[in-house]
Amino acid sequence: MENLVVSVSDAIELINQTLDYAFPTLVIEGEVASFKVNQGKFVFFDIKDDGGTLGCFMMVFQLRQPVEDGMRVRVVVSPKVTNWGKFSLTVRDIQPVGEGSLKRAFELLKEKLDKEGLFVPERKRTLPAFPERIAVISSTQAAGYADFVRLLNERWGGVQVDVAHVQVQGIEAPKQIIRALQYFNEQENLPEIIVIVRGGGSADDLAAFNDEPLVRAIAASRVPTVVGVGHEVDESLADMAADVRAATPSHAAQLIVPDKHDVLRGARHDVMRVANVVYRATDELSNTIRRLLTGAIDAFDERFGRVSELLATSRTVLEAYDPQAVLARGYAIIRGTAKVGGTIEVEQAKRYITAEVTDVRDK
Amino acid sequence: MSETNNTVSKKLAKLSELVAWFESDEFVLEQAVERFHEAQKLADEIEGDLATLKNDIVVLKKKFDED
Repeated sequence: MENLVVSVSDAIELINQTLDYAFPTLVIEGEVASFKVNQGKFVFFDIKDDGGTLGCFMMVFQLRQPVEDGMRVRVVVSPKVTNWGKFSLTVRDIQPVGEGSLKRAFELLKEKLDKEGLFVPERKRTLPAFPERIAVISSTQAAGYADFVRLLNERWGGVQVDVAHVQVQGIEAPKQIIRALQYFNEQENLPEIIVIVRGGGSADDLAAFNDEPLVRAIAASRVPTVVGVGHEVDESLADMAADVRAATPSHAAQLIVPDKHDVLRGARHDVMRVANVVYRATDELSNTIRRLLTGAIDAFDERFGRVSELLATSRTVLEAYDPQAVLARGYAIIRGTAKVGGTIEVEQAKRYITAEVTDVRDK
Repeated sequence: MSETNNTVSKKLAKLSELVAWFESDEFVLEQAVERFHEAQKLADEIEGDLATLKNDIVVLKKKFDED
């Protein structure tokens, strides 16, 4: 090797090849210092600990979460010597780590996206009441996914569910979730809902859901989105950008499909309600008929009474004029011509008498 | 797309329509019994459908780890 003479450029190339061979990828954790963005494109910062400092370089579009001095981060880097002889780390990915840094990055990005209106209620779309086709983005090995599927099957049926299996934590997770979102949004037959679910975890585990490109992809989805990540208390920017925020994966299933037992109870209740309407209407009709009949009977009774009374009066009058009644009182009916020597007939109550006329004179 | 699910939602919509008729000014007792039986039949059918409906869950073979 001592006899090997190379140019400066070749030496740099040789060193870089050696570095690339020895450390194709390094993941380094440390604190950010001297963070700056040049010309709106190039990002330079140092990553340091108590024992040393290393210079880092990346492009601004690779920044997936806000970074600032003092933040603890994990970087995925390729070590390199520049043509100016400076040792530098080319950053492929950077993620805040630790509760304080994650919280700070969360707050900075939340403020930025909030100003852009990504979380406003006006952007939220409603979900269909009875979805027939839904897309799920999750890790099929995760407990949260199992909870979601179990509850979905318990509550409702007949849904076509397409599942995209992706990583739901780590540096690769946001990119995979974004690809799955793009895949479902490009389908000719779009799903009615896209659901992103993941069970609980530490702040580091859930950091993927505060990734800026992912949050933007959720907000830009053509298909309404539901995000159920972590537990009730966990809040992510992905939740905020979604059309519907679910507190947990199980809660996501509750929000997407109705409970068939509730639906059935509702249907039975509806039938009972209309039965009551029919009963009530029948009651009202029978009351009306009863009232009409009673009125008719009362009217008939009244008229019948009046007729009976008239009949009785007429009968009394008629009886008074009955010739038999007059005869019974001692009177007689005389038939024939009243002339001397003639014959007349006398009718009494109980007999007839034929008599000769012997005298006729005026009174 | 699930035809069966589609049918259930249509049946639920039809049931709501029937219920609305009973509570509307169009209600007449002469038609009520027939419509009531129709509602009852629909509720029975919905119960049957809900008991048999299963979700069709398909995990895509597509990988999302690369562009």
